Amino acid sequence: MWLIAVSGFTATVGFGVLFNIKGKKLYLAGIGGMLGGVIYSLCKMNECPEALSLFYAGVGFALYSEIFARICRTPVTTFIICALIPLVPGKGMYETMRYAVAGDAQTALQTGLDTLIYAGALALGIILVSTLMRFLCHHPKPSKTI
Amino acid sequence: MDCNELLNVAGYAGKILLESGAEVYRCEETMVKIAQSFDVDEVQAFVMTTGIMLSITHNQQNYTKILRIQKRGVDLHKIDSINELSRTIKAKQYKINDVMELLKQLDQEPRYSLFVTLFFSALSAFGFALFFQGSLFDAFCAFTVGFCIKITAVGMERNNVNAFFQNAVAAGVGAFITLLCVQLSVCDSMDTVMISGMMLLVPGLAITNAIRDTVAGDYVSGLSRGAEAFLTAIAIAVGIGAVLAVWMNVTGGI
Repeated sequence: MWLIAVSGFTATVGFGVLFNIKGKKLYLAGIGGMLGGVIYSLCKMNECPEALSLFYAGVGFALYSEIFARICRTPVTTFIICALIPLVPGKGMYETMRYAVAGDAQTALQTGLDTLIYAGALALGIILVSTLMRFLCHHPKPSKTI
Repeated sequence: MDCNELLNVAGYAGKILLESGAEVYRCEETMVKIAQSFDVDEVQAFVMTTGIMLSITHNQQNYTKILRIQKRGVDLHKIDSINELSRTIKAKQYKINDVMELLKQLDQEPRYSLFVTLFFSALSAFGFALFFQGSLFDAFCAFTVGFCIKITAVGMERNNVNAFFQNAVAAGVGAFITLLCVQLSVCDSMDTVMISGMMLLVPGLAITNAIRDTVAGDYVSGLSRGAEAFLTAIAIAVGIGAVLAVWMNVTGGI
């Protein structure tokens, strides 16, 4: 578990540098990635299905990002973009491609569909939190008319 | 007050935001906020992932500006700073010229240097290998693969190669280095090294913005960001697939 946490943090901070995040926000983004990774592997350890684990992890890091974005007065994307990356089902995409190259169309389609469902579950978690936060905190002013 | 000047300033802010990878609604809101800080009668902004339209009405005069966006990168620091700036204009009573100066300064702020970028992308791949439960040998291979992938991607980006080809070639180079590592038997699991390297090409920004734009109701931009993410994934698959197929054909196995 410690290994997951540290490696998740390292990977996310690396991405933060690629996306040019500066100062303490870089570390906060790293913690977001770590949180997502830890929640995901905790769920997996308790024998949650893959899609559900991704959904929980998505909700977890999205909540963290929304809260810290408000504390640091920075756009939410600063944290979400980096924290999202360790959870992207890269493995599924890779396996789909492997089966496709090997000529096994049936398994490739099956794996591809599973991967889409995993990505959808992750997106659903983020959408849920983002919609809730808009509902709770966002009050757009109507633009001034003559 | 010179509305043309204001139009230029607000448009410039929007342009930097969109080029740095901000969501569409953030771009619209920021431009409207900047213009409204100078008390004009009406502002309307319409933004898509490839262009900006901005119009200001003041004293019964209409002013309009259209900007075409070609470059699309990721720079979260700029988004953060402009967001901060647009909120403080009114409180600090900036003049239009001051805002323009600040924006120009912001636009020219240096990124992390090439070496730092390369090192951290390699480190990121190293982290991913451990995250995917690979061994330490896998992690060091992933470090090398990540470095090569990033250097290819950066080199092609500087020569204005299009995004699809850029991702496909970078993924192909990554796959080739991984296969070399396997051949020299330095790594334990080929799949782990390959996936860790490829994570560097994952379109995190496109995925996030596709979700956020769709939630905000900007379906056109949401869909186009989604298409961008999907095409990037396909490009990566094509790159690895091509190299794997050729390798299997030449050496007769992996």
